[in-house]
Amino acid sequence: MDLFNFLLMGFAVAFDPLNLFYCFIGVLIGTLVGVLPGMGPVAAMSLLLPATFHTTPVASIIMLAGIYYGAMYGGSTTSILVNIPGEAASVMTCLDGYQMARQGRAGRALGISAFGSFIAGSMGIIGLVLIAPPLVEFALKFGPPEYFSLMVLGLTILTFLTSASMIRALMMAAFGLIVGTMGLDNISGLARFTFHIPELLDGVGLVPVVMGLFGISEVLLNIEMKTKREVFTTKVKGLLPTLQDWAKSIGSIIRGTVLGFFLGILPGGGAVIASFVSYAIEKRVSKHPEEFGKGAIQGVAAPEAANNSAAQGAFIPLLTLGIPSNVVMAMLLGALIIHGVTPGPLLLSQHPQLFWGVIASMYVGNIMLLFLNLPLIGLWVQLLKVPYSILFPLIILFCLLGSYSINNSTMDVAIMLAFGVIGYLMKKISLEPAPMVLAFVLGPMMETALRQSLIKSKGSFSIFFTRPISAVCLIIAIALMVIPLLPWFRRPRVTLEQEEFK
Amino acid sequence: MKKTYLINDLVWISFAVAVCLGGLKLGFGSFHSPQAGFMPFLAGLLLGILAAVDLGQGILNKWERDKSDKVIWADIHWGKFLITLVALILYTYLFSTLGFLIGTFLLLLFLYQVMERRSWGIVLTASAVTTVLFYLVFKIGLDSQLPRGFLGF
Repeated sequence: MDLFNFLLMGFAVAFDPLNLFYCFIGVLIGTLVGVLPGMGPVAAMSLLLPATFHTTPVASIIMLAGIYYGAMYGGSTTSILVNIPGEAASVMTCLDGYQMARQGRAGRALGISAFGSFIAGSMGIIGLVLIAPPLVEFALKFGPPEYFSLMVLGLTILTFLTSASMIRALMMAAFGLIVGTMGLDNISGLARFTFHIPELLDGVGLVPVVMGLFGISEVLLNIEMKTKREVFTTKVKGLLPTLQDWAKSIGSIIRGTVLGFFLGILPGGGAVIASFVSYAIEKRVSKHPEEFGKGAIQGVAAPEAANNSAAQGAFIPLLTLGIPSNVVMAMLLGALIIHGVTPGPLLLSQHPQLFWGVIASMYVGNIMLLFLNLPLIGLWVQLLKVPYSILFPLIILFCLLGSYSINNSTMDVAIMLAFGVIGYLMKKISLEPAPMVLAFVLGPMMETALRQSLIKSKGSFSIFFTRPISAVCLIIAIALMVIPLLPWFRRPRVTLEQEEFK
Repeated sequence: MKKTYLINDLVWISFAVAVCLGGLKLGFGSFHSPQAGFMPFLAGLLLGILAAVDLGQGILNKWERDKSDKVIWADIHWGKFLITLVALILYTYLFSTLGFLIGTFLLLLFLYQVMERRSWGIVLTASAVTTVLFYLVFKIGLDSQLPRGFLGF
């Protein structure tokens, strides 16, 4: 069967009424959590994971994927109208989007953001269709050493890119690895760090950890804040960008799309980094860099395009290698495993309907999002007016019941609360939760791959350097760890950090 | 001296030492035959070394790149924060005994009043309606096994 026929099969799956319904629910909830500050796609996906137990694997992955790319669309609304990013990938949109809103151009900012997201999302899917199948062939050559080295590379890239202090980000990754070892040892069956608590024999669940670190901690942070939201609601009109707006933005959209897509594929990359880098590049290539931060439409178009195409690109390592490139993909990995589907090179041959169905549903989802985000903008604006004092008990309740309903265990709720407090303290002192969660998910896979490799090589670490793919991954990882020590690199990182404090 | 970061590193070092000891107790094995404690020991060792390096760097440059203790802990509504946390711990602890309906109703009643003082009529109605809606979604819609509590509902 050729690519065209596979895509046709994918569309047949995506247009199945049940899958269409779940796709709509996914993008609707994604837009909702994107719009609402304090609840990102990760928390929403972990919340809805138990709800997917009752449906087919295809429908559940379609819905969860919809939440992710839907949140990329919705996040811009809050950034533009309230100057608070709905989720992390929309931080850069605040800079110029909010300024445009203050100048009475909120409609055009929202319009270019939605159209830019649509173009980038659609192009990202085309990239996914073209790159994923050949990569699957390549991934079949992977053994335990290659998997281990690739996961090390993924974690290193994430720690290199996400935090001002690489040492602290690596500390969080090490903490994630430790938490990941809790429960029964896969090989010997010995209980590790379970403290005689039977519920811990299966290890700590991904959902309570993620809900705690991203949901509860965010609520705790918001409770202590005294800031008031100022919503620009009166000037939301003229959503269609003018020809002049298009002329200014189209280059930014294309650059953001290409850059975002490749940063999304990178293990450890993702939508957040893509939006930051694309904004920086736009400012650099612009003839009027002084306009950035004062309402430049390119400053909205580029990061929004980048975060949407990155959201599509991030599916490639998960669907082809079975390795999640970021926390959201780790949630999808968890969902696939719960449904008895093992992601990796064999996914394409064993579950072609799931593979192509999910990809095709993204085309459909992107069209749904365009209609959800532009004509219904008034509805989302109204939602922004809901006071946080009403919203936060609901978020807490969703987290409590979401983590309880997975195993009907109050231990999961207690774990979630514990990680909520840990996440709160981590955010207070600028420790990144993302490397921790990714290491927590990858930890058991890394451990198995490491132990298998060492047993195979009779205890010699040379196995990681004598196999070409593994050696390349490890050399890049080592280089990334050494780069921050170089004097020429240290200066810009300090500057970036100072910018952050401003 | 930025005490927050100093304490942070010391906590991580202590935690790493505990994990390494736990790993050794589980059995490290050898490189050609790694045992259950192999990975925890290596991860604990990595964490300990990194935390020690971070501490050393902090002492040398006096944490000049970090936020001050004042900035980190300023403007916190400690009351609201702690009350919310205690309420959540109590809810978790009493969830099975009180049951979903009573426990959730009481929690919402409390949380709605924590952030903003409102009339009791509004809060009672909002809490009851929210509890019932969540019950319908989780119990009826998603077929979750919510606890009935001592009253049997």
